[in-house]
Amino acid sequence: MVEAGEWWMLLAAPAALLGFALVAVAGNAALDARSAGRSVTATAVVRPFLAVPQALVTQQRRMPAPDRLLWRVGVVVVPVAAVLSTLVIPFGNHVVADLSVGVVWFNAMEVLTWAGLWLAGWGPNAAFSLVGGYRFLAQGLAYELPLMFALISAATGAQSLRVTDVVGAQHGLWYAVWMPFAFVVYLAGVLAFSFLGPFAYPAGRDIAGGVLGETSGVDRLLLQAGRWLWLAAGAAMAVPLFLGGGAGPGLPTWAWSLIKTLLVLGLLVWVLRRMPVIRADRYVELAWVVLLPLSIVQALVPALVNLNL
Amino acid sequence: MGVTAVLARAAAGRPRVLLTATPGGTRVRLAVEKELRSRDWPAATTPAEADLMLVVGPDCPRLRPAMDRLWQDMPQPRVRMRVTTVGEVASVLDAGRTRLSAPDHSDIGPDRTDGHDTSGESGSEGHMPSDREAGNRDRSGDEDTGRHHDGSRGVDRGGEHQGHRGADHGGHDPGAAGHAGSHGEAEHESDGPMKGDGQQNHAGHGSGHGVHGGHGGHGHGDMEMPGGLPMAEPGEDRDGLMLDRLHVSLGPFLADWPTGLVIRVVLQGDVIQQADLDAPPSSGSADAFWARPWLRAASGEVVYAGEAARWRAAAHLDSLGRLLSVVGWPAQAVKARRLRDDLLDEAQTKEVLPRVERLARRVGRSRTLYWLSRGIGPVSTADARAAGVTGPAARAGGDVPARYRQWLTDVVRDVLRLDDTARLDPAAQESPRGRWDAVRPPSVDLARLLPRLLEGAELSAARLIVASLDPDPDELSLTEQELARG
Amino acid sequence: MSGFTAALALLGVALLAVAGLYGAAWALRISAAPLSVQPFGSGLDPSEHAVSRFHVRWYTVTMLFLAFDMEMVFMYPWTLVISAMGPSAVIEMFVFLAVLLAGVVYAWREGALRWA
Repeated sequence: MVEAGEWWMLLAAPAALLGFALVAVAGNAALDARSAGRSVTATAVVRPFLAVPQALVTQQRRMPAPDRLLWRVGVVVVPVAAVLSTLVIPFGNHVVADLSVGVVWFNAMEVLTWAGLWLAGWGPNAAFSLVGGYRFLAQGLAYELPLMFALISAATGAQSLRVTDVVGAQHGLWYAVWMPFAFVVYLAGVLAFSFLGPFAYPAGRDIAGGVLGETSGVDRLLLQAGRWLWLAAGAAMAVPLFLGGGAGPGLPTWAWSLIKTLLVLGLLVWVLRRMPVIRADRYVELAWVVLLPLSIVQALVPALVNLNL
Repeated sequence: MGVTAVLARAAAGRPRVLLTATPGGTRVRLAVEKELRSRDWPAATTPAEADLMLVVGPDCPRLRPAMDRLWQDMPQPRVRMRVTTVGEVASVLDAGRTRLSAPDHSDIGPDRTDGHDTSGESGSEGHMPSDREAGNRDRSGDEDTGRHHDGSRGVDRGGEHQGHRGADHGGHDPGAAGHAGSHGEAEHESDGPMKGDGQQNHAGHGSGHGVHGGHGGHGHGDMEMPGGLPMAEPGEDRDGLMLDRLHVSLGPFLADWPTGLVIRVVLQGDVIQQADLDAPPSSGSADAFWARPWLRAASGEVVYAGEAARWRAAAHLDSLGRLLSVVGWPAQAVKARRLRDDLLDEAQTKEVLPRVERLARRVGRSRTLYWLSRGIGPVSTADARAAGVTGPAARAGGDVPARYRQWLTDVVRDVLRLDDTARLDPAAQESPRGRWDAVRPPSVDLARLLPRLLEGAELSAARLIVASLDPDPDELSLTEQELARG
Repeated sequence: MSGFTAALALLGVALLAVAGLYGAAWALRISAAPLSVQPFGSGLDPSEHAVSRFHVRWYTVTMLFLAFDMEMVFMYPWTLVISAMGPSAVIEMFVFLAVLLAGVVYAWREGALRWA
């Protein structure tokens, strides 16, 4: 039923991801404009995209003794890993590659941002960037395990690591409904690995932009794009994992995938503005003492349900 | 150049603005912030991401080297403009965008004279536009020296740095003295292999660094120094470990920071081991914007208590905007700043009260914000009084949440009193930062609390502490000597 | 197209796009010469290289994390065999997790999860 490996998906998947990311940026700009008292017009919404010409014309900067290679690698890894995560995300009936370990693949790509962001912080040889890079590692220690248990809860429910099997196993009842805690933890994890909104800790304004502080031009564009691409990828992955994929009445599967992804994306963009930045030194304790045990209990639920079958 | 020109014009549609306000420039800064918000020109936090540098407020010689540093670190296309009066804000911003959109302005060409020629035309009121300079460093150097003090720029820079590093810190901080000296070499070395633009850029101020390079380059004599900088050296840590220490300066120019305030911190990891307060710069203008009603009342003018309440509420909202921005809650920071601007635009109680109350609810009752900031920077009422602090910080008598909640309570109370026609008694009613004292403004004591509170704090907690006490740079600049003597 | 080929091809597409961006910037940037700058120091010059032995105060958390991360290596394959192995698989896995959680509780009591 699911078709994998069509060559055009190689271009369609990144394009769709980019499209979702652009929608998220535009939506965020609309909310920004509203809260700043500007009129929400079409122009106001697309203005953030002027970052692209800005990045292209900007002169290069040369820091004293940077680790140029690792810096560049770090900057590139973040958006590229986001694109690679789409390998296993089914959209309607289509997926680039239906890996038997799709859930692990998504997880692995997301963990690549740890390396990417830390390198992006280390590379410029600047104090605030360095602090920002380490901040992401501390944040990772907090969000990663609950996120992994959320992914495993979904995989356990389907007894498969293949994302399309997870979709197929949700006949009738979405995992978001009977594993609500895993769903919420997953969404928090999406915000965390996109380091946006309440999880913008590594790029905090209090440390002059942190990992973003010394980047300019295309480097900056790629890191910023990486954030929104990850947000989009996380939203797209939430649909097969927790919201039944493309299943739904009346409409074709691609339409349901589209609608559900946009809804999740809208929810995430809305949440971005609702909270201040959560510092890792406070979040680590919450994550390990409250979120982790609860997500383990959550993973126990589908395991027990499986035994009854 | 065709495509580049088109892109540059497009890019100039939304310049990212590096706002550097000098002490005494609060009134203009508020006008600029309001204008930037309505135009959707985002605020840059570092030179790397900035297109337009806006120097706001009166000239302040002590901050000039720091401003030049930021300006030199901005990649092209870039424009530097100066705003000194409220009336010219819009026209200066327009001129800045015009210059950004014509990239040849900022492109090389030592013979170009456009920088100064056009300044009159784009500069509205005629006075100042000194900093409206696009282009390479040569030109920026010209502009500064030409304007402020002929040809003495290099020497000035050297003297400035020597003052900071040598006098204030050299004594107990060998690392700082060493690097102050070695920095001159850094500039020269990195300039060496460069051609064209870069070389020209540095030619102007290389000599300036050379001056102070000569003074103190002893700290790390024989060590190999990649990029001309020493490596960080280990030191005892609060956990009993020997790990590297970084000497980092908070201020003078940091986003959402009281401009001009300089706190030199020694970091291990992201925890502050040591914090030292520099003497704040004086702009000589002595305009403490937020204390205006008190200053006027003290000079015998009739000032209504309602006006003082309006001013106080706006000042607290300004502080809250900064605090909310530092904690990374821009959506609420914008609300606080809009309320601040509306109050200064003579908004009536009934217009702003519902919004103020909503802000007080959202922020004051936010459990997340409370959870994130509780226990940070505790100052009991007794400690505060002992340190001479009299304002909301003393009345709050607690940690960061106690202080921002105090601000919110005060704002709501003051907004209810906007029409109070009683006469302001400057001795009895608090100014925004505390009881007004022209000799020793309340911010002085707030600033002096900082080093003690910052030591042992994590970097983000330190920013919260500073933002929650929020000494006013205008007030600090009134009494430069006072703070230095302690 | 096998999964492996698809992954490589997708990587190629992503890298091509990135290279295209860098190439476009190289061709279009306003000034060919890079600008020598200092790292941002709030307007002051840096006093030493930032790259240093950074004191990560949360290093005890990384130890805990490592334990759980290894556990994940077992748990991913475990999801596939729950039905086949029956109750024993579930019991073993969650007893193991309970042991690890006891470690977390101990570390928490010792203050390892607080560092600021």
